[in-house]
Amino acid sequence: MKNKIPYLFLLPGIVLLLFFLFLPLVSVLWPTIFPDGLSLSAYIAFFKDEYYMEILMRTMRIAVIATIVCAIMGVPTAYFISRCSKKWKGILIAVSIFPMLTNSVVRSFAWINILGKNGVINKVLLAMGLIKQPVGMLYTEFSVLMGTIYLFLPIMIMTLVGVMDNIDNDLMEAAESLGANKMRSFLKVVLPLSIPGVITGAVLVFTGALTAYTTPQLLGGNKSLVLSTFIYQRAMTLNDWTGAGVIAFVMIVITLVVMKVLNALATRLDRRGENHA
Amino acid sequence: MRRYKGLTIFSVIVFSFLIIPLVIIVVTAFGTEKTIAFPIKGFTFSWFQVALSSKSFKNAFFLSFKVAMIATLMALLIGIPAAYALSRYSLKGKKLLKSFFLSPTIVPGIVVGYSLFLFIVIKLKMPVFEGLLLGHFLVVLPYVIRVVGGALEQFDFSIEEVAWSLGCNKWLAFFKIVLPNISSGIISSFLLAFINSFNNIPVSMFLTGPGIVTLPNTLMSYVEYNYDPTVSAISVMLMLATIIIMFIVEKTLGISALAK
Amino acid sequence: MSYVDLNEITVSYDGKHNILEGLNLKIEKGELVSLLGPSGCGKTTTLRVVAGYIQPRSGDLMVNDQNYTKIPVHKRNFGIVFQSYALFPHLTVGENVAFGLKMKKEDKKVIEKKVDNMLETCGLSEYKNRYPKQLSGGQRQRVALARALVIEPNLLLLDEPLSNLDAKLRIQMRVEIKRLQKKLGITTIFVTHDQEECFSISDRVAVMNNGIIEQYDTPENIYAKPKTEFVARFIGFENFIDVERKEDHLFGSQGVSFRVDDVPEYDVKKMTIRPDDIEIVKTPVPENGISGQVAVRTFLGKSYQYEVQSDFGSLIVNGSDSDVYETGDQIHMVLPSHKIVLV
Repeated sequence: MKNKIPYLFLLPGIVLLLFFLFLPLVSVLWPTIFPDGLSLSAYIAFFKDEYYMEILMRTMRIAVIATIVCAIMGVPTAYFISRCSKKWKGILIAVSIFPMLTNSVVRSFAWINILGKNGVINKVLLAMGLIKQPVGMLYTEFSVLMGTIYLFLPIMIMTLVGVMDNIDNDLMEAAESLGANKMRSFLKVVLPLSIPGVITGAVLVFTGALTAYTTPQLLGGNKSLVLSTFIYQRAMTLNDWTGAGVIAFVMIVITLVVMKVLNALATRLDRRGENHA
Repeated sequence: MRRYKGLTIFSVIVFSFLIIPLVIIVVTAFGTEKTIAFPIKGFTFSWFQVALSSKSFKNAFFLSFKVAMIATLMALLIGIPAAYALSRYSLKGKKLLKSFFLSPTIVPGIVVGYSLFLFIVIKLKMPVFEGLLLGHFLVVLPYVIRVVGGALEQFDFSIEEVAWSLGCNKWLAFFKIVLPNISSGIISSFLLAFINSFNNIPVSMFLTGPGIVTLPNTLMSYVEYNYDPTVSAISVMLMLATIIIMFIVEKTLGISALAK
Repeated sequence: MSYVDLNEITVSYDGKHNILEGLNLKIEKGELVSLLGPSGCGKTTTLRVVAGYIQPRSGDLMVNDQNYTKIPVHKRNFGIVFQSYALFPHLTVGENVAFGLKMKKEDKKVIEKKVDNMLETCGLSEYKNRYPKQLSGGQRQRVALARALVIEPNLLLLDEPLSNLDAKLRIQMRVEIKRLQKKLGITTIFVTHDQEECFSISDRVAVMNNGIIEQYDTPENIYAKPKTEFVARFIGFENFIDVERKEDHLFGSQGVSFRVDDVPEYDVKKMTIRPDDIEIVKTPVPENGISGQVAVRTFLGKSYQYEVQSDFGSLIVNGSDSDVYETGDQIHMVLPSHKIVLV
């Protein structure tokens, strides 16, 4: 026992995490695996049920599409921010951070105002005479998707700005001197170098979108349930605690797997970059 | 500077996408109609009055503030020494310990709240408030570990060692030398933790009780059943608070302190 | 008994591999002793044991007849200067220097006076209210030194303090350190990997390798009479010739005998000589003469350096500026008997 100090410093955190994160989790998940002896029946039932699978698939679909759209919107924007003058860069970063710090109820509420029956889009379409009756866009997978993209785009942009800042402008100029036009040098130089950043951002967006509660609740409601709103419904409305536990476990497993796989990919790509440098 | 026309247009569209929905909220907060309308027909501050005189919103605000403050202070109290131990010493299983301390990030907030509800409130019969506090503490602890840990990575520990050689014992050196030099990291982790706890909804979903509903949760159930500009007014006030915090941070630490 | 006495110090981080292996070192009061060696040789570890940052697995550290092995760092009163200077970034120069005195709870006026005196001694008076960030490298170095000296330490420990300075400043600062050290009479341990710096500043030098001291001697003796091949190589001997001793004679390969003035008592395996000390001559010399062919010629500025292939292997020779030889030339050399060192 050479040095007890570090363990003394770590102990309170370890105790609290064990008692109030791991123990409660185990007490929720245990009954789903050991109702009375090992049994995966709860999980088999989950994966056999069409309604459950629809919700699982919808959740995954929204998370995947949101991640892809955020990446497509985020990469050029982050590159633009990183090439701006110092003053503009500060302003644009502030504009990107601001939604991140704004409550997700407010951010979802914004889309109720836009997509709702009395919302901006319906009003514009009615005024233009393109439709006669307001179109119901809320409480659909589409509205959840829009809200989710809106929720996580800033995270993608901010993750990428950090990466883009480290890409030397000389590289672009070198590519151009070798005969590539701006678009090509962006696609051939900047994009490959920012891939590890895209993956880091994708992990954050995907796991965030997979587990988000507020936005799907407000924009999807009971008509477009996702896993997190489904847990709440199972537990609170239907008192199906085993069912809620199963969903919780499925969510944790998906989060973990996606995180591990994408992070491993990012590390591998990062190493490749280092070897080249 | 050479301009990239297509890139500029694309970025303008993206930023409009980020900003316009929030601008619409701001405008609707001042509308005279009973339900939310955009564009507005008349101008009034009355929805702010309605929002500020609502008892349930006021109570919810104070509860959220209290929970965020206590949870954040707890996270600092427990997270700073842990982050210090993790970056200062070469421990066995350091990587594992670090992911252990960051583990709340891999458990979905709704699951954290649900399991605490079942374990603390149902099984241990502890008050809901304690459960709520613990849930928020768990959610914000990783911010402290990450941001303070990042600040400690930058810290040259020979500075601490010199302090020892000058007659300063280890405890005093930690307070007099280490803490002041990671203070900007501590402040940004405080702000990030506080803001994230204050804004959090999923963890609190299950952990509610009579008189114990946080502001975002109150706001959310209000939005679910009402469609009047009160919510817009509250949103504007929350955004204003955010802008003030951002402004202060920009003037002191630099805005990137909030981008972690 | 010596002022500082490291007695059989053994250090290991993992309990298996020793970083220091039964290290012994004695330092007299007022001496400046350097620990010289390549990185990883254990010199910084030795310093950190003396400072108290590392607990040795076994062995004792005695200073002024008192056992310091178990005394915590903050009660040792040893002044330390690190390579990074480790100034407190949040304190001014004056507050940095006053820190140690405040820890000793000295009287405010006394602190003020001591700090001002020390700042003046180190030429820092005008920087008292500046922060470390606002200083140049040389000034930071001085602050670090002032901060370590003001507590009137029992021992001054310097860990590569000059390596972050540019060449000119480095020479200036080492004279400064030497001056202060002699003036204040502080026993000092100086860790460095730079032999010139070390020779110019030290009273004695301990050359370290693989956790042991290879040789502990005055700079002059180490320079002229290295005792091991490692020390010889480290301080610039580049030519090594295997020899065998038979009674008082030394034989190289093919039974050629060499005359060497200084033959030590201990067992020797090689003779060695610096490139500067080999003389190039016009005609072959019978005693200690070697001939060979120039393989590579390198221009050094003042003169040429030759790599010569001889019967005794390849030799590095620095030529004089008068005669210049081409690659492929056959040249004759003589190894002066008083310049040959046996290891």
